[in-house]
Amino acid sequence: MSDFQYPAPERTDVVHVEHPCTATGVPALHLEVSNWLPPLSLRPHSSAMPPCKMHCTSASLLRSTILSSSIYASTLPPAFLLPAFAQTAPFSSTPTHQARKDHNRNRGVSALRHTGIGKHQRLSVRVSALPQPVLDPARRSAVQVDPDHGLWGFFSKERTLISTPEEMNGYGRSWTIQELRGKDWDDLHKLWWTCVKEQNRIATGELERKRLAGEDGMYGDYEASERSKEVKQTMSATRFVLTERWYAYENARVEGMEDEEVDLYADPERGERAYLPKDETEDTFLGSAEGNERVDRTRRIPPPDESRRPSEARV
Amino acid sequence: MATGPLFRVGQKELYLPNFEIIFKRTPSQPPTSATFLVPLWFSKLDLRDYLYHAYSLTIGASIRSYVQQSRIRQGQTPDPVRPQYKRWHRPRATKRMTVELDRPFVWPAEPESYTPWNKEETKMANEDQMEYQRRQGGDKDALAVPDERRVKMREQARALLEGKQTWRPGGGRMAEGVGMYGRR
Repeated sequence: MSDFQYPAPERTDVVHVEHPCTATGVPALHLEVSNWLPPLSLRPHSSAMPPCKMHCTSASLLRSTILSSSIYASTLPPAFLLPAFAQTAPFSSTPTHQARKDHNRNRGVSALRHTGIGKHQRLSVRVSALPQPVLDPARRSAVQVDPDHGLWGFFSKERTLISTPEEMNGYGRSWTIQELRGKDWDDLHKLWWTCVKEQNRIATGELERKRLAGEDGMYGDYEASERSKEVKQTMSATRFVLTERWYAYENARVEGMEDEEVDLYADPERGERAYLPKDETEDTFLGSAEGNERVDRTRRIPPPDESRRPSEARV
Repeated sequence: MATGPLFRVGQKELYLPNFEIIFKRTPSQPPTSATFLVPLWFSKLDLRDYLYHAYSLTIGASIRSYVQQSRIRQGQTPDPVRPQYKRWHRPRATKRMTVELDRPFVWPAEPESYTPWNKEETKMANEDQMEYQRRQGGDKDALAVPDERRVKMREQARALLEGKQTWRPGGGRMAEGVGMYGRR
């Protein structure tokens, strides 16, 4: 019956140990005790030895007790070991399998470990009812693109992927400094942003054209660079005009502070005059306390107007 | 769709920007996303406000950013005057941002014909140039004589043997005054 052959025991005594598990329905422990005993794990099961459930602590204690005192096999374990046999709680703190049964059907189902759907797990959607993805791009439904989409600003008027060299070559000249000197700030600002968007358009087209060209390349880079040069010249002229205008304003402000006939602190909205000619001042405000106060030469140069040029502005 | 922004517009005032924003084609992404190449100092909030003010583009809440490092290359500068094989440099990294669009956008189709760009002619010219450089290279003596020249030499030899043509030094061209140094 068994794969293990053992020499016949010389003397066999049957020890009946009354285990506390007996009260719970577990059959009593029957152990063959002899002079030579293999380890318990190697001993084959036989019909004469029904399997016994016992805690590891009790088993090891009992085994050590019996094996060490095989000479006194017929005697019961000493009395001070009896509380150990009466122990019902396991020594190990690992929860048993019964403790995990919390009626959670998704217990143990993991998306990371590819455990799949459990045997008794029921989803809200059946697999057969799931929609099938269209893997072929040609069979997918076309997306309706809004003609007023803001991203069309990165393309040319024709709304093609890349412009031909003829289309890229169809530009005029850049704005000159003389032309821009007559424009106010709003016009210059709009022109600058037009140039910025044109540069974005050229760079987007160039990136795509180089991708389509491949290793051998194709025409169009010269036209794009020439077109970009004109845009940069316009932007450069705009900066020049603005810088020139700022220096003109700064020089006029310093001159105005040094000029006795100009009062930069005057508020025209309240009827105050900023320009007071010298002869007129002598006639009007001669001997008047108000006039002397307004033309105060001890005042220093005021700082530039902070409300017009915020400090956070990045030019 | 002229609705206001769904986000809080930034307070940074940028009057004269001097950088480029490149719209990048990404076929692998859905049409509800758009990728841009931006300067390295650009932040997600910068791109959101830039697209809103310059292109009136209201985008969703999601912006993803990625900085692509460049591989090291030979030479001191990206465009060297002469090749410097023992010097290495790393070109500047590129930063790209992917935004979620509220309205889908599909790129225009690729052109069917590349005739306006002379793509085929460019390829033929490159091949011809490569062949010419190979013929003029250091191992030009090891190369076989081209077939066209071999056929012409055979015809010329046959004409000389049959008496149709008389031998003249320089192939007859110098006698006509159109030799190596002659100009007509």
